[in-house]
Amino acid sequence: MKKLMIIVTITIGIIMAGCKKSLDINNPNTPTTAVYWKTSSDAQKGVNAIYSTFHRPGLCRWLFFITMIRSDEGFSTSPNPDLVNNFDAFLVTNYDYYETRSLWQDDYVGIFRANQILDNVPSIIMDATLQKQLIAEAKFLRAFFYYNLGSLWGNVPLVLKTSVPTDVPANATQADVYAQVEKDLTEALADLPLSYDNNNIGRATRGAAYALLGKTYLQEHKNQQAADAFKWLVEGDGKSLYDLMPNYRDNFVITSENNKESIFEFQFAVNPTDNHDDDTDPRTDNLNYGTSLPPFFAPKPLGFTDGEARRWVVQEYKERTTSGARDPRLAASFLYDSTDERGPDFTLLYGTTFTKRQAQDGTPNKVWFRKMLNDFTDNGESFHSGNNYRFLRFADVLMMYAEALNATGQTAVAYSQVDRVRQRAGLAKLSITMPGLSQAQFLVQLKHERITEFSGEGHRWDDLARWGDLGPQLSTRDAGFANFVKGKHELLPIPQQDIDINPNLKQNPGY
Amino acid sequence: MKIKTRLPRYLAGIFLLMLLSICVFSQQVIRGTLHSPSGDPLSGATITVKGTNKSVITDANGRFSIDASAGSILILSSVGFQEKEITAAGTDLNEVLQITDVALNEVVVIGYQSVKRKDLTGAAAVINQMNANRVSAASVGESIQGLAPGVTVRNGGAPGQNSVIEIRGVASFRNSDPLYVIDGMIADANSTINTNDVESVQILKDASAAAIYGSRAANGVVIITTKKGKEGPTKISFSAKYGMQQIPKQWDVMNNTEFAAMQKLQYQNSGLTPPVSVGGQFDASINTDWQDAVYRTGNTQDYNLGLSGGSKTSTYLISGSYYKNQGVLIGNSFERASLRINSESRKGHLTVGENLVISNNYGQNPGGGVNAFYEAPQMLPIIGIQGNQYKSIPSNPAGWGMGTNNATTYASNYVAVNALDKRRFNYAKLVGNVYADLKLTNWLSYRFNAGAEVSFDNNKELRDTGIWRFTNQPPATSTFEDRQRFLSILFEHTLNFNKVLGLHSINGVVGYSRQEVRRDIVSASRTGLQTYGGETFTTINASLGTPSAGGSTPDLYRIRGYLGRLNYTFNDKYLITLSGRIDQDSRFGHDYRTGYFPAGAIAWRISKEKFFNVSWISDLKLRASNGKLGINTLGSWEYLGLLNSAPRAIYGQAQTPVTGQYQAQITNPDLRWEKRSEKNLGFDASLLDNKISITAEVYNSLSEDVLLNLPLAFYLGNLGGNPSVNAGSIRNTGFEIAATYRHNNQPLKWEVSVNATTIKNKVESVGNQGAGINYIEPAADITFIRSQIGHPMDAWYVIQTNGIFQSQAEVNSYTNKAGKIIQPQAKAGDIRYIDENGDGQINNDDRAFVGSPWPTLQTGVQFNASYKQFSLNIQLVGVFGYKIFNDVRRVLDSYQLSNFRKDVNPWSATNTGGSDPRLAVDVPTDPSVSANNMRQTSRWLENGSYMRLRNIEIGYSFSPNFLNRVDIKSARFYVSGQNLVTLTNYTGLDPDVVGSGILQRGIDAGNWPSSRLLSVGIQCEF
Repeated sequence: MKKLMIIVTITIGIIMAGCKKSLDINNPNTPTTAVYWKTSSDAQKGVNAIYSTFHRPGLCRWLFFITMIRSDEGFSTSPNPDLVNNFDAFLVTNYDYYETRSLWQDDYVGIFRANQILDNVPSIIMDATLQKQLIAEAKFLRAFFYYNLGSLWGNVPLVLKTSVPTDVPANATQADVYAQVEKDLTEALADLPLSYDNNNIGRATRGAAYALLGKTYLQEHKNQQAADAFKWLVEGDGKSLYDLMPNYRDNFVITSENNKESIFEFQFAVNPTDNHDDDTDPRTDNLNYGTSLPPFFAPKPLGFTDGEARRWVVQEYKERTTSGARDPRLAASFLYDSTDERGPDFTLLYGTTFTKRQAQDGTPNKVWFRKMLNDFTDNGESFHSGNNYRFLRFADVLMMYAEALNATGQTAVAYSQVDRVRQRAGLAKLSITMPGLSQAQFLVQLKHERITEFSGEGHRWDDLARWGDLGPQLSTRDAGFANFVKGKHELLPIPQQDIDINPNLKQNPGY
Repeated sequence: MKIKTRLPRYLAGIFLLMLLSICVFSQQVIRGTLHSPSGDPLSGATITVKGTNKSVITDANGRFSIDASAGSILILSSVGFQEKEITAAGTDLNEVLQITDVALNEVVVIGYQSVKRKDLTGAAAVINQMNANRVSAASVGESIQGLAPGVTVRNGGAPGQNSVIEIRGVASFRNSDPLYVIDGMIADANSTINTNDVESVQILKDASAAAIYGSRAANGVVIITTKKGKEGPTKISFSAKYGMQQIPKQWDVMNNTEFAAMQKLQYQNSGLTPPVSVGGQFDASINTDWQDAVYRTGNTQDYNLGLSGGSKTSTYLISGSYYKNQGVLIGNSFERASLRINSESRKGHLTVGENLVISNNYGQNPGGGVNAFYEAPQMLPIIGIQGNQYKSIPSNPAGWGMGTNNATTYASNYVAVNALDKRRFNYAKLVGNVYADLKLTNWLSYRFNAGAEVSFDNNKELRDTGIWRFTNQPPATSTFEDRQRFLSILFEHTLNFNKVLGLHSINGVVGYSRQEVRRDIVSASRTGLQTYGGETFTTINASLGTPSAGGSTPDLYRIRGYLGRLNYTFNDKYLITLSGRIDQDSRFGHDYRTGYFPAGAIAWRISKEKFFNVSWISDLKLRASNGKLGINTLGSWEYLGLLNSAPRAIYGQAQTPVTGQYQAQITNPDLRWEKRSEKNLGFDASLLDNKISITAEVYNSLSEDVLLNLPLAFYLGNLGGNPSVNAGSIRNTGFEIAATYRHNNQPLKWEVSVNATTIKNKVESVGNQGAGINYIEPAADITFIRSQIGHPMDAWYVIQTNGIFQSQAEVNSYTNKAGKIIQPQAKAGDIRYIDENGDGQINNDDRAFVGSPWPTLQTGVQFNASYKQFSLNIQLVGVFGYKIFNDVRRVLDSYQLSNFRKDVNPWSATNTGGSDPRLAVDVPTDPSVSANNMRQTSRWLENGSYMRLRNIEIGYSFSPNFLNRVDIKSARFYVSGQNLVTLTNYTGLDPDVVGSGILQRGIDAGNWPSSRLLSVGIQCEF
C-alpha cells in the first residue's frame, strides 16, 4: 500500500509540474502592440487605417445630414422624429444623440489613428521619402478631421498625441482648432506628392492640402491667406494638374471618379458581401467600405427619404444657357417631378417614370438630392454605394478663390473664376450678364452661384456659417430655422458623455 | 481486463440460474400485513422478491400475499418509509416500516464529495426530482422553476430556448449564470442535455457550499447527477410523452373594418385626409389576422428508452432519447437525440467508471432579427400576407405584403421572413468524464477525473430574394455557414479522506484541477444563390456571387485550481467546515492571475443538547457561514493591447481595399476577478416525527470588483468597446424558506412543499462614470432604466403620468409654483405628466424611480398525492411585486403606424371617461401626440405579479398483479397540463418575462410567452 501511495504521489507531482508553463497563451488572432511600429509596412498599414475612417458611419452617412439636412437646402419628414428634431428643426433632443455624435466620434477615431502615425512612424528606420510622405498624409488627414470638428463643434479639445484614458484636455477655441488645421496642412504641403500613380490615386496630394488650407482660411475670413493658397491651385503648380470636367454631372457619377476636377474625394467602393460598417470588426470580408447614405436620401420605397431637398432650391436655376436650354446642373442635382424638363411623364426615377411611381407611392411634391444617389447606374439603392464623394473639387476652389479675391478687393479678377464655372454649365459669363458689380453685390451674386453649383454637396452649412447667414430668418425657406437661436445653433453640442467624464471640458454656448 | 472480470460473473450467473430452477419447486405463498409505526395499515406498499422481477402491492388494509421460496429475501418498500428486507418465512408476517428521515439522510453532492444532508453546514438546496420530472422541459433549468428557494428561473417559450437562472439574485452587470457541474464535469446544462437522464439536482448557494469551485462559483453552482445503473437484474425502461402546445394569449387587435373606421376617425380628429387605404381604396377583401398567420398549435414529443442493471462490482445504464418541439410560431422548431452511457466497475481497491452523453441538436428559426411577437400585433389588418399589388422588382418579387405609402407601417411580415431567411443550427455534442477511484486505505482514496465537453456547431442561413418590411433594402441573396468547435477539457486529482475517531469525525478532500477551454470558428458565405425549377441550391459552391470567409479562435484560456475542504463533526452536535480554492487564470495579466477564495461554516445541532427538550422538534440545526467567491466574465485576452487589422483603405484606380492596422481599443491591463463575499445564517428543522421539515436562511452578499465598462470620452477615438474595469459593487440580501409536510401513513398519501424567496438588490458602486453620474444605463438611447447607487439594478427611471387632461381649462391650470403652464401644447385628452423638478416643463429632468423589475416575493408550491394507483402532482409558481415595461403595448397604443387594440378607449369630448389619450395623428403641428407616446414614461409600466398553475398531472399506475402477467414490472399512464392558468393583471402575453440581458431585465419587447401544454404520457419498466 505504501508503494502505491508513493506512485500516486509521484504521478500527481509529474502531472502538476508538467503544466506550469501553460498560463501564458498567445492570442492566435492578432499580434500585440509590443511588436508593431517597426517596419515600413507597419507605417503604411497605419496610414491605411486613417483612410479607412472615411467609410465609417459618421463620415459616410451622418456628415451629410449635419451639413445638408440641417442647412436651408434640406429638411426631413422621416417617421423617426429624432431625425426631424435634430437635423431639421434645431430641437436637439440629446447631446449624445448617436447620429450627431458619431461624426464627432469618427473624426476623433481618425485623429487617434493619425496620432499613432505621428507618434510612432518618425522613429521607424525606412525610406526617408516615403516616411515623410506618410507623415504628411497623416497630418493632412488629421487636419481634415479637425476641420470638421472646428467648423461644426468649434470649441473642441485638441488631442495631438496617442490617446490614453487619463487624457482630460480643456476646450480649445474654434480659432485654436483652425490654427492647428493650418499648422498641420502647412507642414504637410512640402512632403505631399503632386499626384500618385494608378495604384495610389485618391490619396492626399499637395493640391488637396492647399485647397483645404484655403478653405480653412476662408472660413476664418483670412482672405489674403486663402487667396494665396487657392492661387497655387489656379495659377501656380496646380494649374497644370486641375481643370473643370466638360460635363458637370461627371462629378457625381461613379464612372468618372478621381477626374481632373477632383482635388480630394472620399474613396468608396462596393463590397457585395457587406453587412456591417464598423471597420474594426474582425469580419473584414463583410465590411462596408462604400457609403450607406443613398437609401437615406432615395425616394420611397427604394429608400427611406429620411432627408430631402427644399423646393426653393429648384427655383434658383432660372437662368438659361446661352443656347436657351435649362441649366443642366438642375437635373444633375435633383430628382423631382421635372428632372426631365418635359415633366413627370418623362422624368425617370430609377428607370420608372415619376408619374408611375407617384401613382404607386403618392409622393407628388418631393425633391430628392441626386448627387449622392446611384440612379445613373442602378435601379434601386442599397446600403452600399461605391460612388465617391467629391469633397474638394476644382469648381469649388475657383469659387472660393473668387470669394477670397472679392473680399480682398480684387473683384475684377474674381469675375474670371466665376465665369469659368458658369461657362462649363453653358451659362453666359457673369462679366457679360452682370458686369461691374460692387464687392457687396458680387458676394450676393456669388451666394447664388454657389447654390446652383454646389447644392446637395455638403457645403451649404459652411457657406451660411461663413457668410453669417445662419439665423431664424431662413425659416422662410426652411421652416426648421424658426427654432434657430443665434449664438447657439451655429455649433453642435459637445457630447454630454465627454463633458461628464472630463471636468475640464465646457459645453458650447447656449446648450 | 474486462474479459477477466466478466468471466466469473457469467459463471456465477449460470450457477444462480441453476439454483433458481431447483428452487422453483419449493415455492410457497407468503402472506402478511404492513403497518406504520403508529399502527395504521400501509396500503400501496411494494413487496418484491429480491433478485427477481416478482412484486405485489398491499391492499387497503395493508395486506399482501406473494409466491416466494422459503428463505428468499423480501424487500418491503413504500414511499416515505425506510426500506426493509426480511427473510420469507411463515405465512402471516406482521411488519412495521419506519418513517424515513428523508430530509436528513438524503445524500447531497457538494462538489468533489457527498455528505448526508444532516451534516451540511452551508446553504444547499436539493431539488425534489419527483416534481422536476413532472414538467416538460427542454433544459434542466426550465424543469426546476419554483422548486427551490433562492433560485429564480425565468422561462422563454421558444423551442430549445434556455431558461435564465439566477441563484440568490444578480450580482454582476455581465453574467448571472450559475456554474453547472454534470457528474463532476464542468459543462453547461443547456437544452442539449436530456432532463430525463437527471437523477438529482443540487444547488450550492452560499460561499461555504460553493467555495470548492472558487473563482467560478460566485453565481452559485448547480450540481447535476445523472442516473446510474443499480445492482440487480437488467431493467428496461421506456417512456413516451406527447403534448400539444398553444400560445396562452394573443393581443386582441382590430380587424380590417374596425381598423379602417378607427384610422379614419383618427385622421378626422387631426383635421387630415385619411389615407386612401381606409377610404376610397379600402379593400374589404383583405382582412389579415397577422397573429393567426404566424402562430400555430405546436407540439412536443419526448421518448426515452433505457437499459440498466448491474452486479456487485459493475453497474451500467444506457439510455437513448429523442425530443422534439415544434414551436407555436411558424418556422421555429428544436429537436434532440441523445445517447447516454454511464457505467462503473470495481476491481479490488480500484473503481473505474465513466459518464458520457452524446447528443445531436437540430433546430430552425427564421433569421433577419425579426421578433414575430413584437411585429405581428402591430401589423395592419388591411395588408395582405401576399399579393400582386405588393410585387416589385428587384425588392419584392414574391409580392409579400408590407406597409406602403398609403397604408404605412414599418412592421415586418413574419410570413415573408420565414420564407426568405431560413436559419438552421446543429450542435453535435459530447459531454462526459472518466474516472478512476483508488482506495488507498480504509479512510483515504485517490480519484482521477478527466472530463470533456465537445461541441461541433454548425449554423446555416439562406437568404432569398426580397424584403419583408416597407422601405427595406434588398440584400444580395446569399448562403452563409459557420462551423465551430468548442472544447473544454478538465483534469482533476483529488484525495478524499474520511475518518471517525470516537466522537470525532473528520472528512474532506484536497485536490488539483486544471481546465482548458477553446472555441474555434470558421465561416464562409457567398452571394448569388441559384434557383432552378423551384429549387434553391444551398451550398457555397452552388452560389455564383462573391465569396467571403472568416475564422478565429475567440476563446482560449486555462484555469488551474488547488482546492480543499475539511469537515469536522463532534458527536453529531458541533460541525465545522473549512473550504477554499486557489485559482489561477490565463485571462489576467501576470500580477492578477492568482486568486484566493476561502470559506468557513459552523453548525450546531442544538436538538442533541441535553437541555433541549422540545418533544415536537425531532431535529434542529443552526448554521452560519462566511466566505469569498469569484467569477470571470472576460474574454481570453482583454488585458492585452492588440492590433486591429480590420480597417480597409480604398484608393488606387481599381479601388481595391488595402489593409490598415493599428491599436483600435484602449485596454486595461489591471483586470481581475469579480469577487463576492457572502454571509449566511440558517437552520434546518424536522418537526412532528419528521412529518414536517423546514429550512430557512438569511444572507448578505456583497459583490466587489464587479466588471463595468469604463466610459471613455469619445475624443479619445477608442473603438471596439469601452475597456472593462473592476469598479462596481452590488449587494444582495435575502431571506429564503422551504417547508415540506408529509402525510404518508394513510391510503391517501400526500405531501406539500412550499418555498418563498425575497431578494433585495442594491447597487453600491458603479465606478467612475463621469461627473455626478452615479448610475449606468443599458444603452445610450435607453434612458428609462438605471442601475444607480442606492437603488436596485435596472430600476425604472421614468417621467410619471398623472391621468388625462379632461379640458383645456385643466391644461391651463396645470402650472408649477411660479405659475408656468407645464404642458402648454397639451390639449384635452392628452396625458398629464408630473413635473417632478417643478421647473414648469416636462423633459428628461423629470424622471424619477418608479419601481423595479425585481420581485419582492417569489414562491413555489408543490403538492403530490397518491391514492391506491392514482397520483396527482400540482405545482404553483407565484411571483409578486415587480414592474414590467410593456413595449408591445407602447407600439399599439402610440396609434401611429400600427394596428389598434380592440379594447382601446381613447378619450374624446364625448367619451371623457376614456382611459387612453385622444386619438390623433402625430404631426409636427400637434406635438403633444408625440409627447403622449414618449417611451421614457410610466405609461408603459405594468404590475407583473402573477400566480401560475405551472403543472398539474394525474397519473395511474397499473397494478403489479396485472402487470406481472404480461412481464411488465411497472407501468404508469398520465395526463398533464402545463401553464394552464395564469392569474395576473399584466396585459402582455406572459408576465414571466426574460427581458433583454442583465441590464434590461424587465423589458417585454415581444417576449416569447411560455406555452400552454397538454400532454399524455406513459412510463413502463420491464
